[in-house]
Amino acid sequence: MAEQAYTVASDSETTGEEKSSTFPEIAIGVDIGTSQCSVAVWNGSQVELLKNTRNQKMMRSYVTFKEDTPSGGVSSQLFHEHDLLSGATIFNMKRLIGRVDTDPVIHASKNLPFLVQTLDIGVRPFIAALVNNMWRSTTPEEVLAIFLVELRAMAEAQLKRPIRNIVLTVPVSFSRFQLTRIERTCAMAGLHVLRLMPEPTAVALLYGQHQQQASHENTGSGCEKIALIFNMGAGYCDVAVTATAGGVSQIKALAGYTIGGEDLLQNMMCYLLPDSQSLFKNHGVKEIKSMGLLRVATQDAIHQLSSQTNVQVDVDLGDGLKICKVVDREEFEEVNKNLFEKCESLIIQCLQDAKVEVEDVNDVIIVGGCSFIPKVKNLVTNIFKGKEPYKGMNPLEAAVCGAAVEGAVASGINDPFGYLDLLTIQATPLAIGIRANGNNFIPLIPRNTTMPARKDVVFTTIHDNQTEALILVYEGEGKKVEENHMLGYFKITGIPRAPKGVPEINVCMDIDAANVLRVLAGVVMPGCRQPAIPVMEVRMPTVDDGHGWCAEALNRTYGASLNLVTLQKKA
Amino acid sequence: MSKKKLCITLSNFLRRTTSIHQYSTLNFSSPQIKLSSSPFQIQIPNFHKSTFHYFGFLRFSGKRNRCSKSAEKLQSSNSRCWNCDAVPTASESEAPFLFCESCRCIQPVDYSIDYFQIFGLEKKYDIEAKNLEGKYKDWQKKLHPDLVHSKSQKEREFAAEQSARVIDAYSTLRKPLSRGIYMMKLDGVEVDEEQTISDPELLAEIMEIREEVEEATNSEALNHILSQMQEKMQIWSTAFVDAFQSQNFEEAKTSIQRMTYYSRVIEEVVKKL
Repeated sequence: MAEQAYTVASDSETTGEEKSSTFPEIAIGVDIGTSQCSVAVWNGSQVELLKNTRNQKMMRSYVTFKEDTPSGGVSSQLFHEHDLLSGATIFNMKRLIGRVDTDPVIHASKNLPFLVQTLDIGVRPFIAALVNNMWRSTTPEEVLAIFLVELRAMAEAQLKRPIRNIVLTVPVSFSRFQLTRIERTCAMAGLHVLRLMPEPTAVALLYGQHQQQASHENTGSGCEKIALIFNMGAGYCDVAVTATAGGVSQIKALAGYTIGGEDLLQNMMCYLLPDSQSLFKNHGVKEIKSMGLLRVATQDAIHQLSSQTNVQVDVDLGDGLKICKVVDREEFEEVNKNLFEKCESLIIQCLQDAKVEVEDVNDVIIVGGCSFIPKVKNLVTNIFKGKEPYKGMNPLEAAVCGAAVEGAVASGINDPFGYLDLLTIQATPLAIGIRANGNNFIPLIPRNTTMPARKDVVFTTIHDNQTEALILVYEGEGKKVEENHMLGYFKITGIPRAPKGVPEINVCMDIDAANVLRVLAGVVMPGCRQPAIPVMEVRMPTVDDGHGWCAEALNRTYGASLNLVTLQKKA
Repeated sequence: MSKKKLCITLSNFLRRTTSIHQYSTLNFSSPQIKLSSSPFQIQIPNFHKSTFHYFGFLRFSGKRNRCSKSAEKLQSSNSRCWNCDAVPTASESEAPFLFCESCRCIQPVDYSIDYFQIFGLEKKYDIEAKNLEGKYKDWQKKLHPDLVHSKSQKEREFAAEQSARVIDAYSTLRKPLSRGIYMMKLDGVEVDEEQTISDPELLAEIMEIREEVEEATNSEALNHILSQMQEKMQIWSTAFVDAFQSQNFEEAKTSIQRMTYYSRVIEEVVKKL
């Protein structure tokens, strides 16, 4: 196999809005799942999924490090579950990307059969693959980039043209920091992200297309239809409510959380071998193998429980450690009770945010790898009073197909039948705001705001003659800033000397249709028409690594000296 | 008519990101918008260059100004497409000119077109909110920035502004409360939702309801409060309409304030349910 070096493209290339005016190609749709990946493209009349040389549409998301070139799940010739588990193979990149070592998701990843180490100080975790008995450090970005290079080569070979533009699906709960990481990863693989689509919104677009086709063929009513999309894969659970009419889909609400098949698997592994965490702490070759074996056996058992009510788990983990147990479906459901409850609460939250009643929902769409689990299907249909889920979408392919349709729409392709006459109006999945009133998070743009969006709030100083203020931008749902992701910060200087509470510091947040977030800050003294200092405009996120650290350092150095409070309007 | 004072908040300086030094002179005495009986001019940033929209950031203080006009009279003779110079066709002139049908080109934002006009509605409180969504989607299908990738930078900026404005219009008109506040704003009356309550009667009522909500444990009690609140909302929105029609803006403000509180209670109850 020819060597495929990955290249680092500059950031400006990844943003390249200017280039979008002349598209040489139809952007392809890519769905990088925690466990599996797929690629699809609009072939002129419909969406077509691309297959690798082994005729697979779904490719495992992993990269195996070797002495020479690493190889990923797209191209490797030999495929056996157990090869994944020699310590040299890194997977679950999507769960690990853009997270610091204080993140609970990183902590939960410590029993993966490769090295994930944390120092719990808010920096990148130490991730490494075992190659010839030596730990070779890597990052989720590097692993994903290697994988994407393979994916790209495969697509180029099949479509017989160079591939540059892609539409990529992402989990709803990804922070903007994580999105930046994903974009950079794509740039490393020489790919330009035309659009990042939250997974259920890609499904919503596909649903919109179905409705459009149905109304063309006069089988549909052509009036507005509301659908709830529940998408649970290996790493993430996402929910969306969409209202579609005439090819236009308005995303009314989004909700997402980091729970998926991986968590079900972890819980089951703990159940089958309660002290697995401590047993596998050492990450020696033997332990990694045992961990791997347990993982494969548990995964098989969960898969079988989707079609049968009980399953025999019989696995020899080595060193006299054997598991021989019959597990039935109720046990599996009981072990994962909390996770299923969380799924329910996401759906309910999403309906509430969308201001949609259960009765108003025309279609319930259940997709993602976990949709095969009977309990998952039941919990969704129970909320909708036993309503039959929407048929006509392949649960594993819906997201990538939606991404491919979006790729064609965004590339300006027209379809003679109007099947690409589509539009998705997106909403912001997470609230964005700044730190003010002490350690509180003051959202400026609430979650589920239609994009493009702009909001502003007036703040003021907390000290007399305060001439500088720190604008700390966060994203999330927590009331306190530390519960949210820090996206960046900047300082406004040159505030005219005045008693506290007098200067009006106007902070404005703007998200354009391309989902670019800008934060503007200006200062006005009461009675003046002109801003006291030039307006600062900063594109977010600005922080790169270790933002947990950085917030603490800022706090240590400046305390409350640069703080702000919201300005109460005088009656 | 009393002297009009125009005060500009900081927000509109903030909008001016792409064109901080480019000003254009906008004549407010144009036939589209009657702010004052005598022509006067004000310098505001060039709309065309800016990525942002301005409406709502210019605050008009002073008494009622008659800027509500029926949609048909909207088109002044000088509105032409910036791109192809076409005059809106007969069918178009019924609707506000946001989009040119002859060259399929998005027009720059015209802030004299109010939210009601965008939706082809008469400026009144009682509208069928259900019908808004269809019109909203029709506009987005013409104006959304996602659909103009291949067009010029200029038109992409128009798309961003127009689309954002239609979103604002839609979300404002959809909810009765924000619709009412917007109507007041069009008539030059600012309503501050955050204003502290000074009416002791209302204050006592609010406290009482708060307590009720806190103590309510079952859905039956909550539903009871909910229907009570909805009833009150209805009463006060009728009061608002009456006050507004008779141009009693103080009374209208009071109604809005009450509606604000009741809607908050409704939100709280729904969350608990």
